[in-house]
Amino acid sequence: MTLDMASIPLTVLVLVGVGSPALLLALLGLASLLNRPLPERWTGRLAGSSMMIACAAFLMAFVVYGVTASGTRLLSYGAWSASRAGGIAIEFLVDRLSLTFAALATAIAGVVSAFSNRYLHREAGYNRYFVLFAIFVTGMLLVALAGNVAVLFIGWELVGLSSALLVAFFQERPAAVSNAFRVVSVYRISDAAMLSAAVLLRHVAGTDSLSLLFGGAAPTTGLTATNGTMIAILLIIAVACKSALLPFSSWLPRAMEGPTPSSAVYYGSLSIHAGCFLLLRAAPLLEQAPAARFLAGGLGLATALFAGITTRVQSDVKSSLAYASLTQVGIIIAEIAVGWYTLAFIHLAGHACFRLLQFLSAPNVLHDLHGLENAIDDASPIGGHLKFVRSDRARRQLYLIALERGFLDTILERFVVEPFTRMAGLMTRLDQWLCDAVLPARLRYTVDRGDQDD
Amino acid sequence: MTDPRLWLAGLMLLPALVLGASYLPIDIEQLRRLAVASAIAMVLAALTIALSPPLRNFSIRASVLTWISGGEALIRIDTISSALLPFAAGLWLLTVAVTPRAALDGPGLRRTALATLLTVGSFLTESAVVLLLLSVASVWTFLSALADPAHRYQRRVVAAYLGASTLLFAVGVVLLVSPGAQGTRIETVAMWLIVVAALVRKGIVPFHAWVPEVFDHGRLGPAILFNAPQVGAYITVVLIVPRASPEMLRTIAVLALGTAVYGAALALVQRSARRACGYLFMSQSALVMAGLDCTSVTALAGGLLVWLSAGLGFAGLARCVLVLEARRGRLDLTSYHGGYDRMPLLAISFLAMGLACTGFPATLGFIGQELLVDGAVDVFPVMGFAVVVASALTGLAVLRMYFSLFCGRSDVQVHPSLRLGPRPREAWTFVALVAVLIGLGLAPRPLVDSRFHASEEILRLRQERTLASRSSARSVSIRAGTRASDPSRTGTTTSNPAWVLDR
Repeated sequence: MTLDMASIPLTVLVLVGVGSPALLLALLGLASLLNRPLPERWTGRLAGSSMMIACAAFLMAFVVYGVTASGTRLLSYGAWSASRAGGIAIEFLVDRLSLTFAALATAIAGVVSAFSNRYLHREAGYNRYFVLFAIFVTGMLLVALAGNVAVLFIGWELVGLSSALLVAFFQERPAAVSNAFRVVSVYRISDAAMLSAAVLLRHVAGTDSLSLLFGGAAPTTGLTATNGTMIAILLIIAVACKSALLPFSSWLPRAMEGPTPSSAVYYGSLSIHAGCFLLLRAAPLLEQAPAARFLAGGLGLATALFAGITTRVQSDVKSSLAYASLTQVGIIIAEIAVGWYTLAFIHLAGHACFRLLQFLSAPNVLHDLHGLENAIDDASPIGGHLKFVRSDRARRQLYLIALERGFLDTILERFVVEPFTRMAGLMTRLDQWLCDAVLPARLRYTVDRGDQDD
Repeated sequence: MTDPRLWLAGLMLLPALVLGASYLPIDIEQLRRLAVASAIAMVLAALTIALSPPLRNFSIRASVLTWISGGEALIRIDTISSALLPFAAGLWLLTVAVTPRAALDGPGLRRTALATLLTVGSFLTESAVVLLLLSVASVWTFLSALADPAHRYQRRVVAAYLGASTLLFAVGVVLLVSPGAQGTRIETVAMWLIVVAALVRKGIVPFHAWVPEVFDHGRLGPAILFNAPQVGAYITVVLIVPRASPEMLRTIAVLALGTAVYGAALALVQRSARRACGYLFMSQSALVMAGLDCTSVTALAGGLLVWLSAGLGFAGLARCVLVLEARRGRLDLTSYHGGYDRMPLLAISFLAMGLACTGFPATLGFIGQELLVDGAVDVFPVMGFAVVVASALTGLAVLRMYFSLFCGRSDVQVHPSLRLGPRPREAWTFVALVAVLIGLGLAPRPLVDSRFHASEEILRLRQERTLASRSSARSVSIRAGTRASDPSRTGTTTSNPAWVLDR
């Protein structure tokens, strides 16, 4: 661990902030692995305390940073995987943006933790929920503070896995499980794009340090405009998948199968904004890559328009809220693309808190109004929700597109899943043929294929 | 107790003890208990060897089986083999501890002990002839596991593929160790034969068809034990990497990368859990091969790590499938089987081992794949992207299997009074394996450092062999009156060496 005296308090505070949910994860995970889950009361208290400690640590770190430092600081906690070059180092990139986002994330996580403690009381998967929640918070903090690609990728993957497993929280429902698989499929594209960006960065710049991309450090000779644009585009693809931007938006309503607190924290407030945060961090890179900025802006605006229309015709409150979130996310991405970073971050923080409140209060509203769900505008004519469109024909077509959520699932099914499955089926048959081909003809079909166990 | 020979004898004696006991008329559960105790003792002994520097520098060299100058180490313990010994012992422990009672029999335990003995023997030698003999014996052991009439088709497929592989290996070894072969075209031919043999043994496309077939319709237990240690990778490390030309290594790496993506893509769409396991194994095993043939210190260290993590993770995952099959029969991935609430430990273990197998963060597999990508980027940039795609697809395949096998609601309702969860013996074994994979993922430094040393050792050997080959080729050329510096004549490329000592 390499420390100078001035940065010791900051280093310790950031370590406490990240370590607190990680410790919670270790405790709950170990208990689960040993099939001895902690009692609900302990789990709830531990989760709440952990989030409070982390939030307090980040707030203090913010104050300490304001007093003692300026610019972006790279806190190094030493080599993790190997005691030599070539291994993975634990590094956090600290500045106002990352500390604010980390404090916001832990504050929101604390609220959701307290809400979940009551909401999931005596639920069969109570312990599982908190294990996944701890994975999520740890992952989110790693994304917020990552100082190198490896740490960023770890956080990105942890957020993705916990998200998919929470969508399948009610795992006895086949629809929930099937939707979770859809969600994780898109997330894997995001992971692949992120890792490809990392591979490219290492190849052209010979480093995986994010201070080069995110800290505004001077570009090395290897990072040319073309390379920078390619890395930025890969990052935008990763962001588009994670934040459900077009054309990857179809997983968002499917993700609403999870319990309400997880929908709130993932698709209302934090996970869906992770992409926006990453683009904010990558602002120095985006500024060097006008094509990537144009792409991000275009995607953001198109998504905002699409989600804005789609949210109007949703018949269940969580899907409606999810698309409403997406509208704002699209606008935030567009704000980042045009360079309004401060506005984008304020928008992000405000929207995260506001949408969290909406998601968490949705079950109560439904309960109080007895059946608001599935009852939006029953009496209105087709397309009545889109009164701002004057032409009847256009309104009806727009309504159909919105109702079918842009036909994105159909497009995905027809142009990606079906060809892939057909090709894989063909390859499987080819493998069978390769087995037959090595045997004499008389042996090919005359023998039984054993289906024995072991 | 610092004499390595004593430790080695003890190590080999333990499976031999079980082998002998299997011929005695004792109860099968007693024999299993003996096997479990022996396997635990073997793991501890192997760990002691791996962790004690004085025990790690031992070799018995001889020129009896080769004309290669300086002879070869018939038995040796070094940085390369020291981590493989606990790995092989761990696989044996996993096998004997979690094999379902219904599938347990004396001949099975005997084969398991024999296969472990052969694997450990292989990991302890660098002699091509000894490796060949052990390889023949292990193929014969595997074929004997498919001896019943129900598996006649699979036995013949395996016999055709692995028989051809063994034959090529034998011819290659004979040519390699023959007098005057070093630095000549004979060595090049021998190397190509050995390369093809290793590719078949590892299930690399286009020599792969036997792997999914034997996993799907053959016997899964023996298939896991035969494939998980990846003796083909060891042959690559010991025989191929030190001698092969850069073109040869590049060919293997390209084929291996193709296999990694191909296997991962096909694992994702399979209907049968067993077949999906087969493709998953192909993909992971190919990643190891790609790393080993990349020839940068970091990538090679990554390949050696993925070898351990994918081997353990995959064996655990496939064993979970077997444990599930003992409760539910053959598993189909097109429907949901449910059961998380009845067997949460098995579900968690399955997911953790599957994720470790695919290189998920906080597991040993992640460190291995990171090093693999990191090291390969400079030498072979395409490899980095191929590993990314393969990793994304295998991760999806594992999650699909998890969702299908443990989530949803099964059509077949099992009476609540029936206990479906793993037995304590199975549970502790799975928990221990998950703890090892996650523990080494969180605190990987000692193991990673040792793999770096091993990869440096392999590349140093390659450097020495390249130089020896050059001087030998020069003397042959001088004798033949040709220009020694013409690589096309000697069959070896000496300029632009493929190894990169570090970035």
